[in-house]
Amino acid sequence: MAQYDFKKITVVPSGNHLIDIVLSRTQRQTPTVIHKGNAISRVRQFYMRKVKFTETNFTDKLSKTIEDFPRVEDIHPFYDDLLHVLYNKDHYKLALGQLNTARNLIKRIREDYVKLLKYGDSLYRCKSLKLAALGRMCTVTKRIGPSLAYLEHVRQHMARLPSINTGAPTILICGCPNVGKSSFLNKITRADVEVQPYAFTTKSLFVGHTDYKYLRYQVIDTPGLLDRPLEDRNIIEMCSVTALVNLHAAILFFLDLSGSCGYNISQQAALFHSIKMMFRNNPVLIVCNKTDLQTLEGLSGEDLKLVMEMKSAALKTIPGQGGEAANDKDVLLTMSTITDEGVMAVKNAACQRLLDQRSERKMKSKKMPTVLNRFHVAMPKPRDQKERPVCIPQAVLEARAEEAAHEDRKTEKDIENENGGAGVYSASLRKHYILADDDWKLDILPEFLDGHNVYDFIDPDILQRVEELEREETAVEEDGGDFEMEDEDFTAEAEKDLQEIRKRKKLLIQKHRIKKSTAESRPTVPRKFDKDRKFTTERMGRQLSSLGIDPSRAIERARSRSVSRKGRKRERSDGGDGEDEMEIDGGLDNKKKLRLRSRSRSVLPQRPLGEVVPGEGFKDSAQKMKAVTMARNATKKRNKDARRGEADRVIPTLRPKHLFSGKRSIGKTDRR
Amino acid sequence: MRLEFCWFCSSKIYPGHGIQFVRNDAKIFRFCRSKCHKNFKMKRNPRKVKWTKAYRRLHGKDMTKDSTFELERKRNRPERYDRNVMENTLKAIKKIDKIRHDRAADHIAQRWKPKAAKERREARKELEQSISLIKAPLAIQSQEPAITVPKIKVKAPKQQTVEDQLMEE
Repeated sequence: MAQYDFKKITVVPSGNHLIDIVLSRTQRQTPTVIHKGNAISRVRQFYMRKVKFTETNFTDKLSKTIEDFPRVEDIHPFYDDLLHVLYNKDHYKLALGQLNTARNLIKRIREDYVKLLKYGDSLYRCKSLKLAALGRMCTVTKRIGPSLAYLEHVRQHMARLPSINTGAPTILICGCPNVGKSSFLNKITRADVEVQPYAFTTKSLFVGHTDYKYLRYQVIDTPGLLDRPLEDRNIIEMCSVTALVNLHAAILFFLDLSGSCGYNISQQAALFHSIKMMFRNNPVLIVCNKTDLQTLEGLSGEDLKLVMEMKSAALKTIPGQGGEAANDKDVLLTMSTITDEGVMAVKNAACQRLLDQRSERKMKSKKMPTVLNRFHVAMPKPRDQKERPVCIPQAVLEARAEEAAHEDRKTEKDIENENGGAGVYSASLRKHYILADDDWKLDILPEFLDGHNVYDFIDPDILQRVEELEREETAVEEDGGDFEMEDEDFTAEAEKDLQEIRKRKKLLIQKHRIKKSTAESRPTVPRKFDKDRKFTTERMGRQLSSLGIDPSRAIERARSRSVSRKGRKRERSDGGDGEDEMEIDGGLDNKKKLRLRSRSRSVLPQRPLGEVVPGEGFKDSAQKMKAVTMARNATKKRNKDARRGEADRVIPTLRPKHLFSGKRSIGKTDRR
Repeated sequence: MRLEFCWFCSSKIYPGHGIQFVRNDAKIFRFCRSKCHKNFKMKRNPRKVKWTKAYRRLHGKDMTKDSTFELERKRNRPERYDRNVMENTLKAIKKIDKIRHDRAADHIAQRWKPKAAKERREARKELEQSISLIKAPLAIQSQEPAITVPKIKVKAPKQQTVEDQLMEE
């Protein structure tokens, strides 16, 4: 049986709109220009074409509409009834009939006027004929305006009807309002029907689809039924009644045990009995919903009796036409849509009943024997009386037995849930460790010790090796102490000498360094001109005696060879000599004395610094001292600049690099 | 958790320290601190950088070959836990550590030994050579007169003058 698609019906234009469409088409798609000078045949042709064109358009549009709408005689009685319920079949038929009449009328008009146009003698005459023709056609269309509007309305509603496949296996849900039919639909299919606490939430049929044993089943949810005679029923109820009567489906009659729908069990039972005529040969299941509020067992005696009556009625409604319940149990089922208890069982039972019915009917059909003849199930004949039972290995049997015994063991998940859930409890993986001693399971394993990885050292015979090591160590210790002293230490005296030597060397080095650093600024004065009188024979004597030499002879010699000894003139100025006056007459001649006394260079006699010498030009000692100080300061400055004297204007480096190059870390380098 | 060694300076990297660098050939370089990391980025060879263990070992400053090193090896096969073995291991680690430490100290002491001998030799030489700074050569020391002539009573002619005798001294 075909699936009707009411969505494909074309839009029905209203009367005026239709007129506009057709006329504008005519204007656009036929030639528009004609002159009275043209040949009359041409004029006639022109206007005839317009009339014909208009008529064609009208007819086409009306025909399309008439054909699109389903014919009530031809469709499935369910749709037939549904259409009647929703739109009133008579009205519908009338409207369509009017459209048909209009179409014929328009045809008639066109025939008439084309005949007339054939004999039109002037442009004006033809034009008026055409005008009249078009005008009459438009009037006809205007007259069917209301019908067109009605049909458009019907079309819109029809397009929104649920597409019910009358041939597919169907499950129909019916019952009093608010028993839980829509919630059940939501549970087993993907339909999302509105569920609300007030009655008549569902106002029309809703379809969902569900699967069972690789077959697709339609589930139809109906609006609630009230216990009323058929004539008093409203449109909404009539929808469900239509479905019940016309569709071949497994019927689930929903019963609310708790009475929270607003109807008690007796009222529901009454409803059931009043509609059970409509069940005919459809498999019926009685489903008791809302068991979370009231169970079947908890019912009072009367109610239970009513339910049982219903059940027996349900069983009876299948007078051998197939679809008989396999067992009693399948007829009466309990469930709760809130707790999901028994929902799947109900669905499976309903689907199974339908399946059984189908297969039974197929078996009973005329074609069955021909199909049956085509295949043959071969049963092997036993060749001897030997018993060949099922062979299951013992281990498997034992395992199965253990499984069964263990079925209610505590799983890790249960433990987790007990101890606070997933985020709180973390399963102990150590429980199942296989160790030599079970006490060790909870040991904390150290990873580092003293900066070493413990795991790098683990070795079963580590102790033994450590012992070996220790033995080695002790052996080495006893062995050792080979500190061979090749040379003996120094004696205390030698030590002292060494220290002395080092000290002396240091002093020498120091003196040399000072000399070097002051060489530029200080003139190197030979020893004989020493101002400070450091180089005396006493000093020499001290130095020599520190070396361990008797100095007396050396001193003697030095003194004997000094100039003052060798007969210097006594008339020299008094500030001159500070030398020793001791005379050692070693028997030298006068010539020798004179030679010894003569000097290669003359030395000025020393005076005290502040002493005013008459020729110098100072007035007194203080002035001279001032002059001396000034001279000293100037010398200091020159010495600092490493200038040899007043006239020294040497610049050692004309362009020292540090003054002529380099960038500033901050600032500009405009001037240097 | 494992204590690793710094690729550059070979010091121990404790958890929570340092940086690991994985090169495109999947070789992992671990550094204990940014100093080592930066040196690595400068492409310095740790064998040439004085303060690293690699340098010290290469140049014989630190002990390289010893039996204590064989006891500490990275074992890739996990062993089943045994408390007694663990106990022994922990005790052993301490002992091995001490022995290794002592041996390393010995090694370094050995290195320093020749220095003392050398110093002594140099001191002796210095003493020999520079003794003249503090002591006059034996020949002219006052303690030992230069010409030590034993006093031999010689019957000398009485013509020798007093001056000549004086001149001799």
